[in-house]
Parts: sequence; C-alpha cells; structure tokens
Amino acid sequence: MAVKVAGEWLNICGGCEVTILDIGEPLLDLLPQLEFVHLPVLMDHKYFGQTGERNEMEIPAADVGLVSGGVRNEKEKHVAEEMRKKCKTLIALGSCACFGGIPALANMFKLEEMFDKIYRGSKTTASANTPADNLPPLMDAVKALDEVVKVDVYIPGCPTAPELVVEALTALLTGKSFDLPERSVCDDCPTKREKKASGGTLKRPLETMAIAEGPLENTRCFMEQGFICLGPVTRAGCARSMETGKEKVPRCIKGHMACRGCFGPIRKGANPLVDMMGAVTSIGLDAKEVLDRRALLNRYIGAQNRLRPLPQKTAIGR
Amino acid sequence: MSTNGYEPLIIAFCCHWCSYTGADLAGTSRLRYPPNVRIIRVMCSGMVHPNLVMDALTKGADGVVICGCHKGDCHYLEGNLKAEKRAEAIKLMLEDFGLEQERFRLEWVSASEGAKFAAVMQTMTEQVKALGPSPYHVG
Repeated sequence: MAVKVAGEWLNICGGCEVTILDIGEPLLDLLPQLEFVHLPVLMDHKYFGQTGERNEMEIPAADVGLVSGGVRNEKEKHVAEEMRKKCKTLIALGSCACFGGIPALANMFKLEEMFDKIYRGSKTTASANTPADNLPPLMDAVKALDEVVKVDVYIPGCPTAPELVVEALTALLTGKSFDLPERSVCDDCPTKREKKASGGTLKRPLETMAIAEGPLENTRCFMEQGFICLGPVTRAGCARSMETGKEKVPRCIKGHMACRGCFGPIRKGANPLVDMMGAVTSIGLDAKEVLDRRALLNRYIGAQNRLRPLPQKTAIGR
Repeated sequence: MSTNGYEPLIIAFCCHWCSYTGADLAGTSRLRYPPNVRIIRVMCSGMVHPNLVMDALTKGADGVVICGCHKGDCHYLEGNLKAEKRAEAIKLMLEDFGLEQERFRLEWVSASEGAKFAAVMQTMTEQVKALGPSPYHVG
C-alpha cells in the first residue's frame, strides 16, 4: 500500500520544496510507494473549499508530513498545528523549519522596532501605517517548527539536499529511523589542519582562498587560512552521495567556500556563537575582527531563543 | 529586588597551580573576603572555554572571574596566554549578550598572593553588587 505524503510550506523561499522536485530519477523508484495527497508546491488545494464553503481548514490525513519553513504568523501556526493533527510522522524540512533559518535573523529586534524600520524608517518608501487588514498577525518572533508542534524527524539544510530527503523517506518506508550524526563538519572535512592560523588576520569571504593542486587533502583548512568557516560548530551530514549513501566532502567545502552553518548546531543546547568565538581564538585569530558576530554566527539558527532582543541593561543600584 | 537584600553570585575559576593555592593561602591567613564567591578549581585557566563563562552568566551567575598564573609562570607553559586570548572573545560576547563588561574579569593570582585574591574578590563583588542582578537572572 502506498504511503500517503502531505507537504506544506510556511515561512519559506521555496528552495526546499524544489529540493523535493530535484530528487530526479530516484523519485521514480520511490513514486510507486508514495501517494502525494497534499502538496501546494505541485498542486493547488483550497483549505476552505473552492469558494469558501467550509468553516474549517482541511488537510487530508497522511502518514508522512513534510513541513518546510519556520512559523512567522498565526496562519502558519494554524497550518502547522493542522499538519501535526493529520500526519503520523512530521518531518521538519530545511533549516527554516528546523532552526528558524534566515528569516529568524529578525528575532534580534522587537516587532515594533522592525515595523518602524520597514514601514516608517525606510528612506526609499513613503511612510505608512503597519498594514493589518485581512492579514494574519505576526508572532512575537520567528519560531522553528518544533517550538509550535512536536517534530519527529529533522532534515536541515539551506536548501536541503535531495539525497537527504530520499534517505529520510526510504528510512521511513522501511521502518527505520533517520538521524544525522552528532559530529561536526570538520570531522568530515578533508582539508589539512595544523591547529594554528597561518596569519593573524581574518579575511573577508571575497578574498581568494589558497587551493592546492590535486585533492582537497592538500589544501590548508579554510579557518586556518583566516576565513570564518562555521565547520567546527555545524552538524555534519550535508554531503551524502545518493548512490552509496556514503558521506563525502561537505558541500560548501567542495565548492571552495567556507561552511556557513546551515545544518545547525551539532547537538541540542549547543551555542554556536560562543563555541565559534572559542574556536576562532583557540587557533590564534583575533576575535575582534569577526564582524556582526550575532548575525553571522546565528545566520540560520535564530529561532529557539538563540537570537532575541538584547536584555535591557539593569539600572545601576537596583 | 532591593539594593539592601541583593547578594550577587560570583563564580571564580581558579587554576590549580597558582590561584587555587592563592585562595587557600587567603583562607589559612584568615583574610576576609565576601562569601558571594564560589570557587571552581580547574587544572589551568587555559581550559576554561568561553562557553563555560557565558553559560554561567546566562544561567544564574552575576559575575565570573577567571584566575590564572602570572604570565611566564604557567605550569603548562602557555595555558594562561590562551586564557588571555579567550578573555578577549568573552569580552566581545558580553556585548552580544547585552551584559556589562564589569561582570567578567581575568586576573593573575600567584600561589603567594592570598591578599591579592581576597582583594580581587572584594572589588569584584562590590562592582557586581553595584550593577545589580544579571538580566538573565533566574529565580
């Protein structure tokens, strides 16, 4: 019997849904076992009927639910809760669903501050009131999916990888569990480490990295070359080969870019900002040169309270 | 919380070879210092990772002091230099967490400086008391 799959998108850009379509040929092998009952990226479905004849949101029941995107407003919260009710297994797909993603950078500011900046503080648009008519109110912060409903499986990545989606779906079809290893990108990275930075100064991402001839094993670790690479504080698993299931070179490293941290913290409760600052100083780089630290080191993981407005300074002598 | 009743909680990471012995000397010399300080003995100031300090400050402590050997005296040769580097990162992160700079200190206390240890704890406690509870203060 085919497994019923429902997909939903919340606060998204669309990249992770396209990842499902991007599975390519392996999808043909999976398709006979899958039945997509609800998937807004592919097929239109009106929650309240074509002409609004129903009073309640309707999402068909499914065995597996794929939810991408964080939860930004009340409507998305409603959809997430409905998906949880209708799906036996709920998968958080992509970094936004897992950790809030890029939109969660807004969590550094209070809602009013943000509205002021966007609707009244912008120099290029006319000042206006914050729109409210017929719009779902925003939540106080961008939430990860698991802050709103219980999540069974996490597939991070920005965007996530088709291989991971296939692996997770295959695992579920065969009754196995799907988990990413609790180790860092550095553990999978082939570059050469000498535990000391080659120079004292940090480089901007646009400066050219020294890439040695031949396999990446000959190339010096990007961090040690002075580029901020979030490998030490980011979970491994972005490079899985569809054919063998064996892990390969992390995706950004393979493209000669430093890791940006989209797979999130290595384990729950870790604080990548703090760990990363420790890592930067441990190899002799100057921590002061890390620009825009809070945003840079929490780029994909601002939900779950990792980014929030700074506490008000306590009054002296209180 | 009123000024009168407020007693800050201060965590002091002391290296085994110099500062902890210094604290011991302060005790055996019957020197007075505030009871707000909780000493945690570590083998070297260089093993105190920034996450330990930030965790302490965001989960209940109002101030943190790291005490290590004077430069050149480190039992492990350059652990205290590492601590100094890390202290820079910690000071930056205090900004990122919205905490006052005065809530963290790195001090060199040798085994013979019982008096210095007591003085450091005295001033640190007064300083943090003046700041009030950490904005992350729990309970």
